[in-house]
Amino acid sequence: MTATFVSATTLEEALSAVAAGARAVAGGTDLVVGARQGKAALPDAIVAIDRVEALRGIANVDGALVLGALVTHEALVADTTVRERLTAIADASAIVGSHATRAQGTIGGNVMNASPAMDAGGPLLCFGATVTLRSTAGERSIDLADLWTAPGRTIATPDELLTSVRVPLPAAGTGSAYVRLEYRRQMEIAVVGATAVVTVVEGQITDVRIAITALSPTIRRIPEAEAALVGTDGGDAAVAAAAAATAAASTPISDVRGSATYRTAMAEVMARRAVASAITRATGGSVPIPASPALHGAK
Amino acid sequence: MATVETSPAAGAFVRPDGKEKVTGTGRYTADLSFTGMAHAKFRYADHSHAKVVKIDTTKARALPGVVAVVTQSDLPDVKFGGFVQDRYLFAKDVVRFEGEIVAGVAALTEEIAAEAAALIEIVYEVLPAITDFVSAMDEGSALVHTEWASYGRDENILSTGNTMAYHTIVKGDADAAMAGAEVVVKGRYVSDSSQGVPIEPRAVIAQWQGDKVTIWSSTQVPYAARAGVASTLEVPEADVRIVVPLLGGGFGAKCDLHFEGQVAALARAAKRPVKLVFSRQEEFVAIAQRREGIVMEFETGVTREGRLVARKARLVLDKGAYCGEGGFLGQMAAMHACGPYVIDNIGIESYLNYTNSQPSGSVRAPTAPQVCWGLEQHMDEVAAAIDMDPIELRRRTLIEEGAEGPTRQIFDQVGVKETLDKAVEMIGYGRDLPDDEAIGVAVGWWPCMPAPSGAYVQLNGDGSGTIITGAQENGTGAVMAMPKFVAGELGMQPEDFSILYQDTAAAPWDMGSCGSQTTFNSGRAVLAAAAEVREALLDAAADSLEADRGDLELADGNVRVKGSPERSVSIAELAGAGTVHGKGSGDVPEAPECDAGGCVGRLGNESFLAPQLITQAAHVKVDRATGVVRVLRVAAAHDSGRILNKLGADGQVYGGVVMGVGMALSEGTMMDDQGRQRNPHLLDYKLVTCSDAPEIDVEWIEYDAKNAGPRGSKGVGEPPQVPTAGAVANAIAKVLGTQVRQLPMTPERVWAAGRGVAR
Amino acid sequence: MKVTATLTVNGTAYPVELDPHASLLRAVRDEIGLTGSKEGCDDSECGACMMLLDGKPVNSCSYLALQAEGRAVTTVEGLAGEEELGELQRAFLHQGGVQCGFCTPGMLVSATALLHDNPEPSDEDIRIALSGNLCRCTGYDGIVRAVRQASVGGVAPLGAAVHHADTVAPHHGG
Repeated sequence: MTATFVSATTLEEALSAVAAGARAVAGGTDLVVGARQGKAALPDAIVAIDRVEALRGIANVDGALVLGALVTHEALVADTTVRERLTAIADASAIVGSHATRAQGTIGGNVMNASPAMDAGGPLLCFGATVTLRSTAGERSIDLADLWTAPGRTIATPDELLTSVRVPLPAAGTGSAYVRLEYRRQMEIAVVGATAVVTVVEGQITDVRIAITALSPTIRRIPEAEAALVGTDGGDAAVAAAAAATAAASTPISDVRGSATYRTAMAEVMARRAVASAITRATGGSVPIPASPALHGAK
Repeated sequence: MATVETSPAAGAFVRPDGKEKVTGTGRYTADLSFTGMAHAKFRYADHSHAKVVKIDTTKARALPGVVAVVTQSDLPDVKFGGFVQDRYLFAKDVVRFEGEIVAGVAALTEEIAAEAAALIEIVYEVLPAITDFVSAMDEGSALVHTEWASYGRDENILSTGNTMAYHTIVKGDADAAMAGAEVVVKGRYVSDSSQGVPIEPRAVIAQWQGDKVTIWSSTQVPYAARAGVASTLEVPEADVRIVVPLLGGGFGAKCDLHFEGQVAALARAAKRPVKLVFSRQEEFVAIAQRREGIVMEFETGVTREGRLVARKARLVLDKGAYCGEGGFLGQMAAMHACGPYVIDNIGIESYLNYTNSQPSGSVRAPTAPQVCWGLEQHMDEVAAAIDMDPIELRRRTLIEEGAEGPTRQIFDQVGVKETLDKAVEMIGYGRDLPDDEAIGVAVGWWPCMPAPSGAYVQLNGDGSGTIITGAQENGTGAVMAMPKFVAGELGMQPEDFSILYQDTAAAPWDMGSCGSQTTFNSGRAVLAAAAEVREALLDAAADSLEADRGDLELADGNVRVKGSPERSVSIAELAGAGTVHGKGSGDVPEAPECDAGGCVGRLGNESFLAPQLITQAAHVKVDRATGVVRVLRVAAAHDSGRILNKLGADGQVYGGVVMGVGMALSEGTMMDDQGRQRNPHLLDYKLVTCSDAPEIDVEWIEYDAKNAGPRGSKGVGEPPQVPTAGAVANAIAKVLGTQVRQLPMTPERVWAAGRGVAR
Repeated sequence: MKVTATLTVNGTAYPVELDPHASLLRAVRDEIGLTGSKEGCDDSECGACMMLLDGKPVNSCSYLALQAEGRAVTTVEGLAGEEELGELQRAFLHQGGVQCGFCTPGMLVSATALLHDNPEPSDEDIRIALSGNLCRCTGYDGIVRAVRQASVGGVAPLGAAVHHADTVAPHHGG
């Protein structure tokens, strides 16, 4: 079969191309790189969706931020609401790849790539994001937690396109942070990452979400860690207990980037730092964005 | 005494190849194409170690678009290698590492060539891969080269089985001195292998016209490439022309004969030009220039006052599958196990062992950064054992003028103690730092490489000039500085000169861009050629001005009578139709006298000519919880004699230090149990990025070095990487309270080392 | 099957026939013949292929050429506009930001994008913005100084006078 290429300008065009078997490409930062690395050949039929206006933009709708599939990491980092209310997303998007990755890479492509190392994945999961999958037959809304099934796999059918990601804005008194282990300050892929979203009311932690990145086949929340923290004052002991629970729940692999032993130990460190930063932010303290480089050297 | 001063020739200048490099109009090898050009792909070994039973190229040849398939059976039965001739262009009977080339294909497109290469059917008899370079020398180990004894080799190379070369450096009686020493310290360090990683992957294009071949190649050593093509294809060197377009970095990784022979063979078979461009993965796996892994065991006997009475060391180096140009690595490593220190008694042994993995070879100061990393940590351990500040121990033991080297060479003026004092001052050694920060210091050395070279300088009819040199510009600016030297000699401006370089058909033989030798040797030759031109101009001007030769000077593009500037004739006028020219080689400095009678495997490195000396101090921050290390600042103080091109020399230090930081922290080639690379790509072989590079301060200890290069200069390019990893290591050790004994000192290794220490 | 398209590179429209899988880098180098942009790796790690797409940096080795149709592509060849050399290019030469030159086209493109968005970057801004471009020669020092010099308010550091590159004779090598 010879390769074909169409560039869609409307959602309908894009959906009919996908329905006919084409693979959607937006920024190309995952698909083309993956092909060049020999992970998977480029699909024969490609539909470029980067000109579909309906997939652009960030909108504040009914207490949630709705991110069009084409929103780039660069745009997320620059968005005031993201920085102030969904800070962990800004932490993550600010450290994805390089300046070029951040300029071209889209949130839609990033989510559908279903990498367990996706930096913004943990924050989106912790904020309770849902995604809208659309096909020519209609659309459905899926919890992000249900979307990812395995590394590189989602429950989306081949004719479905992710059109937007809806992120509910958290309650007042909520702080969040995403922290990853960074061998270098830039051009890194997550080897260990942790997200924390913490709501503090009158000195008590009333709500907490903790997720791990690159420590299990898919990015996932750690209920044991959350349970260790909720209802506490967020003191060192509670944070340490949550971090220990995070490490205990991690099931990392050993590869060229680190041994499972090291990754498990780092899960604890990253969780501790993410939770501490989220609490600081929740209680009016300041942690720069992105949190990761700023925390280098922290305990 | 060494002083810091700026020489007249120092100062900023813009490189002549700069404009084409910033506008994108400069052409590198991969940018060239020719009418009718076909594309080459190699079929690599499917096993790290196997007998090749049968190669069937029928299907590949039948694929439409394929214009040539070549295997060793199509070529002369000639092996190549610098000190040991152990390799064919294409594997003949045995494959010995994953990047071994079994066959080459040329086709109309890269895609067809790749498809055809995959269609070649090879029957193997798989053999066990020998990957542990230490146990490879055990008695009874299977052999990488069963026919090793029959190979041609340098008469000074001592080989046995998997030990391709054995060397010793011996002075006095190290065993007896060690037995009598007040304090004895032992230390074991292991360096993983790493890579040169020029940003330009290798490219080669070959085009035959009749019996002559022109090869455009991204090589650092065009004359070595020419000799290799001539010998392996059995054609005269006169019929082989190597042209190097702009070269996108080398760092040693583009030394030696490298694929020019295979591509020339394909082009001859295809009867059309053939182009090879490597992918990044091939650039990692297929070249024969890995920075060798080394296991180092040091033992030092010292008095409580800090006199080094004995040094013993046993070094085992990973040669990989073939010799290439890296036959000298073992002896070089042995010299670095001594370091630039006064040591009363020495007994160093080194073993350069074959394995079924990528061949190792010269990468920027081959062996020195690894051995320096180990030795300088060991020196800090020695200092701790006698309760002496490590700077003080070095101050007491570093060489100085009149001191005796490892083989009793007597040093001329050297500025190493000055580099130590300067680096320590620049970094603020001894000041209070947060408890997760520390400063480490390391000292290293590197010899100058004496080699012949030749050059021409001609003046054109309009008074402009052309410099014709065999020197190779790998990016450092060493060749780009030559117009400055020549213009200075002739009273002209650097802009008056163009350079014809990197073309073996144009200029006399040159060693190439390796061994930090370009200014040292090629610069000497160019200055000698300019001196001939100067003499010719003075003769002509003396006639023209009816003046005494001795009263004349060359300045501002004229020859004039000193004190009477109105009596002047322009150089343009003297150049006439453009026949004023000079040639030169200069006198090659001689290696220092030494007493190496007790040393085994003498290849010429047993004494160090005009050693370049370096101290670097690194200020690092260690995240104890993760093992992540950031190098905040490096102070580099270097003795390279007189500095002739400061912008270029500084650039070598900045680049070398950052390469050294990468080697220290993140650059390591990881291998599986079959000797295959696990991280042959830039995501997991991590170079230092702009945001991870430290601030770097550079100072030069300048003086006119004796028996050295032009105007008292020494080499510059390789030394900057030598002590960086050692300085970083000593700083990390201070924070952790223990050494990290494996290189690179990755976060996991730093974390693991720190865990064992109670705080 | 090849697709007919028009790519606009450095302000000039070029008709091209492209395989749908062709990268922007291949199209610009092999079809259009502008070889200033380089290929240094397989996976967007080195930045030698960096171009601007509507003013934003892109690793052109990993971007489908056909996606660039209708967008403004800028390569190193287009950075100086009508000038012989732009300020940034001149600064790279004066500050020792160029050695082997293979990373230089991509570096210049990334630095151009930075200075467009942020005319007065801090050193930290510069270092972050150039981290997608690997350089093995310079240790980045001269490059950071060059971008600083070319930025708003940037001044050449004190030092010896330098020759402008456009007054320097070309070489005849290669």
